[in-house]
Amino acid sequence: MTATTYSDEVVACPPRAGTLYDVLELILDRGMVIDVFIRVSLVGIEILKIDARIVVASVDTYLRFAEACNRLDLERDSGSTTVPELLSGGVAKSVGKRKVRSAAESVGDTVRKAVGGGDDSSEEEDEPHERPKKRRAPARSSESRRRRVEA
Amino acid sequence: MSAAHDGVYVYAVLRAATALPKDGTGVGSPPAVLRSISQGPLAAVVSDAPPQLRARRRDLLAHQNLLMRLADEGPVLPMRFGMVAADEQSVLAQLAAEESAYAATLDRLAGRIEINIKVLPAQNALEALVAEDKSVQKLRAAARRSPGYEASVRLGEAISGALTRRAAAAGQRILRELASTARAAVPGPEVPGCVLNQSFLVDRAESEAFLLQAQSLGASFREHAEIRPAGPLPCYSFVSAEARSVLVGGK
Repeated sequence: MTATTYSDEVVACPPRAGTLYDVLELILDRGMVIDVFIRVSLVGIEILKIDARIVVASVDTYLRFAEACNRLDLERDSGSTTVPELLSGGVAKSVGKRKVRSAAESVGDTVRKAVGGGDDSSEEEDEPHERPKKRRAPARSSESRRRRVEA
Repeated sequence: MSAAHDGVYVYAVLRAATALPKDGTGVGSPPAVLRSISQGPLAAVVSDAPPQLRARRRDLLAHQNLLMRLADEGPVLPMRFGMVAADEQSVLAQLAAEESAYAATLDRLAGRIEINIKVLPAQNALEALVAEDKSVQKLRAAARRSPGYEASVRLGEAISGALTRRAAAAGQRILRELASTARAAVPGPEVPGCVLNQSFLVDRAESEAFLLQAQSLGASFREHAEIRPAGPLPCYSFVSAEARSVLVGGK
């Protein structure tokens, strides 16, 4: 199975060691069976298993991964340039940049509200966004050139 | 109170001398009252089966919690969830018929517990993956050049597959490491989303060290896989006939 993964819902509340979630399949599929005894309600068990493991091996998962992959870039835009290959041209780039900008601004707004700061701090906030843009621009164009050659 | 015609729910087979936990309760609502019925050197922990028993969370937990507590008292053959006998007589007949086999398995499991290890693709390893995987890089560049549904799906599928492959490879190395310090190892049922589901039979005295080892393996493979240990557990995976010929270090 190359396409299986598990969903954000499961990741969001990671089950703890020894909890029901992590041993569910053992309780249901392992343990001693005695042939002359009756095993109850397999239908209910199947449903529960499906509920407990929200597994998505689907287009939805793929789109989420692709989206996460794009978010990687956005995080980079705010500082790290360790892997310059990750930065490339196209429409997505400018959209992404705008998103970073607005995300940074809304974070800034929240912080400002929290600390009760004024306009001065907001100008300071904006500055760091301008500088990296200029610095990265040449790197990007040379990068996309190289990509075209590769492709 | 549930009527006798719903049958007898069987939790475990154990040595006759094993004490029931004082405030332990069984499945059902209200929780069924437990009793121990013995036959020679063996006993079975049972209760009346609740009417319309299904695999509810409440009942699964009751089953699991009781077995955990019984396992603290001595060796236990945990029953699979939901085993119901017609009546106490048929449970006792079963104990008599299988006495030597059950006793031997109890001896084998005495002082040992099960630890289950699941390995999943590391979810926070996207950055490392993109940095290392050329094909993902290419698809990613393609999705950037001409963004769209198709490109995103192709990229996401490649990422998903690569994460799984990396985790599976890490899982095999983790398995080899852990199997070398366990008494026995058997693969668990396939769990969607997991690249490895393996149960290990471990000496109770070693269980903490084993879990620490799993933890440190988890740390060293964290860019490839996430390790989820569960245990110490009753030996669910080491009671069946096929588990008697255990595989150590198998795939």
